[in-house]
Amino acid sequence: MKDHSTIGRPAPLVDGIEKVTGRARYTADLADRDTLTARILRSPVAHGRIARLDTSRAEALPGVLAVVTGADCDVPYGVIPIAQNEFPLARDKVRYRGEPVAAVAAVDAGTAEAALALIALEIEPLPAHATAAEARAPDATLLHDDKPGNIEREVHHEFGSAEAGFAEADLIREETFSCAEVHHAMMEPNATLAEYDPERARLTLHSCTQVPFYVHLAVARCLQMDTSRIRVVKPFVGGGFGHRTETLNFEIIAALLARKAGGKVLLRLSREETFLTHRGRPQTDVRLKIGMKRDGTLTAVEAEVVMAGGAYAGYGLVTILYAGALIHGLYAIENVKYDGYRVYTNTPPCGAMRGHGTVDMRHAFECMLDRMARELGLDPFALRRANLLEAPTFTANGLMVNSYGLPEALDRVEAASGWAERRGKLPRGRGLGMACSHYVSGAAKPVHWTGEPHAVVQMRLEFDGAVTVLTGASDIGQGSSTIVALAAAEVLGIDMGRVRVVANDSEVTPKDNGSYSSRVTFMVGNAAIEAARALREKLILAAAEKLEADPADVVCEGESFFIPGAAQSELPWQEVVYAALAREGTLTEKGTFRTPEKAQGGKHRGGAVGSTMGFSYGAQVVEVSVDEATGQITVEQVWSALDVGYAINPLAVEGQIEGSVWMGMAQAMSEETAWRDGLHAHANLLDYRFPTIAESPPVEVHIVESIDPLGPFGAKEAGEGALSGFPPALVNAVADALGIDVNFLPVTPDRLLEAVIKWRRAQKRAGGAA
Amino acid sequence: MSELLPDFTLIRPATVAEAVATLGREGAQVLAGGTDKLVQLRRGLAVPDVLVDIGAIGEMQGIAAEGAGLRIGAAVTLSDLARDPLARAYASVTEAAASIAAPGHRAVATIGGNLCLDTRCLYYNQSHWWRQSNDFCLKYQGTVCHVAPRGNRCRAAFSGDLAPALMVHGATLEIAGPEGRRRVALAEFYVEDGAAFLTLAPGELVVSIHLPAPAGPSAYAKLRLRKSIDFPLAGVALARTERGFDIALTGTNSCPKMVDFDVPFSPDDAYFTALEKAVQKAASPQRTTTIQPHYRRLAIAALAARTARALA
Repeated sequence: MKDHSTIGRPAPLVDGIEKVTGRARYTADLADRDTLTARILRSPVAHGRIARLDTSRAEALPGVLAVVTGADCDVPYGVIPIAQNEFPLARDKVRYRGEPVAAVAAVDAGTAEAALALIALEIEPLPAHATAAEARAPDATLLHDDKPGNIEREVHHEFGSAEAGFAEADLIREETFSCAEVHHAMMEPNATLAEYDPERARLTLHSCTQVPFYVHLAVARCLQMDTSRIRVVKPFVGGGFGHRTETLNFEIIAALLARKAGGKVLLRLSREETFLTHRGRPQTDVRLKIGMKRDGTLTAVEAEVVMAGGAYAGYGLVTILYAGALIHGLYAIENVKYDGYRVYTNTPPCGAMRGHGTVDMRHAFECMLDRMARELGLDPFALRRANLLEAPTFTANGLMVNSYGLPEALDRVEAASGWAERRGKLPRGRGLGMACSHYVSGAAKPVHWTGEPHAVVQMRLEFDGAVTVLTGASDIGQGSSTIVALAAAEVLGIDMGRVRVVANDSEVTPKDNGSYSSRVTFMVGNAAIEAARALREKLILAAAEKLEADPADVVCEGESFFIPGAAQSELPWQEVVYAALAREGTLTEKGTFRTPEKAQGGKHRGGAVGSTMGFSYGAQVVEVSVDEATGQITVEQVWSALDVGYAINPLAVEGQIEGSVWMGMAQAMSEETAWRDGLHAHANLLDYRFPTIAESPPVEVHIVESIDPLGPFGAKEAGEGALSGFPPALVNAVADALGIDVNFLPVTPDRLLEAVIKWRRAQKRAGGAA
Repeated sequence: MSELLPDFTLIRPATVAEAVATLGREGAQVLAGGTDKLVQLRRGLAVPDVLVDIGAIGEMQGIAAEGAGLRIGAAVTLSDLARDPLARAYASVTEAAASIAAPGHRAVATIGGNLCLDTRCLYYNQSHWWRQSNDFCLKYQGTVCHVAPRGNRCRAAFSGDLAPALMVHGATLEIAGPEGRRRVALAEFYVEDGAAFLTLAPGELVVSIHLPAPAGPSAYAKLRLRKSIDFPLAGVALARTERGFDIALTGTNSCPKMVDFDVPFSPDDAYFTALEKAVQKAASPQRTTTIQPHYRRLAIAALAARTARALA
């Protein structure tokens, strides 16, 4: 492949300077002295009928400009068009503790608080169900009348024949795993600034979202406004990890308040309220049965997954489909049976979270592979190698795989960790574990299907020699603006300093579906390349005219245009810019990306979920030491290899892999949401206990480049695939360290010590040495 | 849920006498480093009319030798204490100081503040909305302890790290109040009631901490999920004495607690097992966090035995 002039080298993010100097302005920073302060009244009970809601005293309080309730919006919303059952403010019923019931906008926070206290709310409680088991019980109270059994979505898929596969197996094992609910805990708490212009009947929203386009649509629907009267801007955003991949209630509430008040309203949620908005990974139980041959070849898989999804649909049906779909795509497996149940519970709605739907299933799968390898006397690496795919191929459920760097990823971490020499030879209390993982590079079918291209990028050539890139791709810290800038600079052969990225202002930038399912680099990157190529064609035409040469002979490189080996002098960039603009004035070119039909998954119901243009492939080794007296695990070192196709920006790729490993570690070791009668037990960053820098292990990143035929410059996703490898690698390492298998996440010290004590008792009973 | 600071008057006296006089006013509370108090104010857990900032009182500053021992001003910051050369002779104290919260907190948080740190509980350290939704609790505004609903007292856990570390060195406090000054042994300063764990009378203020010469080496071990930020799930301080060990606990009860253990030292497993059992017996952690109480008891006892072996 041709050498690149700009990409493939570590590049600082184009918006990094503002962030590290503190100059970046986030949504909550945008309020001015005219801005009203908004506050939300939330349900104190987990399930009940609203018997009385009287806001008259709040409305009468001096300084209160608007009060809104469920009566102000009777249009349900939800990211999946066929599953919209949530209102921004509860109507008739409340379904979780913390659900918004009313909101006020006032001249200051004190007045807004006082107004909330004046709202009379009476709720007739109904039986509440915090767990999937309770909600599925025969006598359970329904959260939604149209959802019998409190089941949001059941999935029953079978590819090949599991029964036939198990009949061929030499070893069959079945286990059950329980994984706690986790939350994104992104840095920036939720905030929306909404401004309504009553004279022109126009609304402007600034919001901390990953999906400004979806916010635009949902706000227009809920406020019954024409989309052209709404402008949505995404300012700097402090992370998302999936929390912000759908329109959230506070965004619509802010818009409702701004319209009613006829002014500008800032709705800034506390950290507790941000936790209560939730949308994280649901509590998930996985029952998994695997059959394999003596040499480790997989013959059959049967899985049942139950997710406690929270009170509303959200992304739920996609999550439960993902858990089944991505059993495929990592290894060669022909016989797979999957049953999934997404259950409504009286807790804040779950949603998409980094590794959407795949993490807990992958955890169970990779733990079981290790245990079965042990029984068969196989090395865990050898077992994985016995089941590799051969690209290009399609999986049993119709997923397209064009590039497959898993073999190299395995080789890299096996060598780097000293696996062959060290595994099994470490002292008791120290262990090595490994696992593999994968993730999509964008969903081949978006959740909101308009028929439009998946991504559009415009590039404008300016009189001053700059190139302005207009994109709707949401940079939430992952570096998407840098990717489009790099693509422009690379294709046009110009310095990065000439490229200006204008992103996420619906008034000027093209529509983009947003930042989720690791779609941006692949889709927007390809669109940016196409736009830059179109602009380059125009520039080459202008240069050819000046050089009196055939355009086919003109090379555009290093900010100049020339004919290799010819006598004509080189034309500098600016001169060609003038020439091109002289031909037709300001030049704006466009690039688009559409997913190929064959990438769009199987024809079965739900077949679009999991479909993608390419998967990242990861292999990971984790080394731990375990203190048997306190149950505390220290992660000593992580080796993580990820096939990202091609690293357009190795610096960002490395950061994304480290971040994924870290987030996987958090879920594996300490993060979980806990409830007390439906109240979030620790909706704050002190007690929710994500790891600090003190727990962060050295992470050795290995970037594997398989050059995907459809990827931009061969690139695939890099921001999610490494996550789901960590929890099973950790549990496998603990098994190596102590000889104890655990089937729960997170592996907190109290749970591990209990397992150690049980294991000691069992050893004693068996008469073995403890 | 609001995180809104209530209205209050902030007074910054220059002397202990002025501070005591101001603390006598209705609704007055002490503000030291504020690392816990500000969170409480924003959660509606404290609604003072007057905050008495003790940061400008010279008498409450400084660490100095006092005979063969040490006098520590109550307003000395944790980071100053952790790195003080004189305090190093009391390793449990400097280790405990260095283990508290994070560097940013330690730069402003004070010794007096940590000794008087409000007890903590899952049902208490929550927003007003949360507590109101749960009918409040016995410690504040409610009538039932959700941790032990049949009991008649608050089970919130004392969570200061410094108290046990100072107690094993026989620390005493100098307290100023409307009735003048008094001295009290630190071990006598607390009572086992999460809602009223301090024996400070209204208007009283801890001025200084006094340590006798160290009897022997000491150490502090802290059980927590993360190596930074966390309050102790349990903490244990041990000091080697002529006879054996003095041991004190935090995080496991509603006040810091000396462990009842006077077995004479002998360097064998039986001794350390007895020590471990004694700590298990003294520790009485409750369901005040999401981490299981049984675990906290077992793990802190194991850490105590391990620390004792290292000191022996």
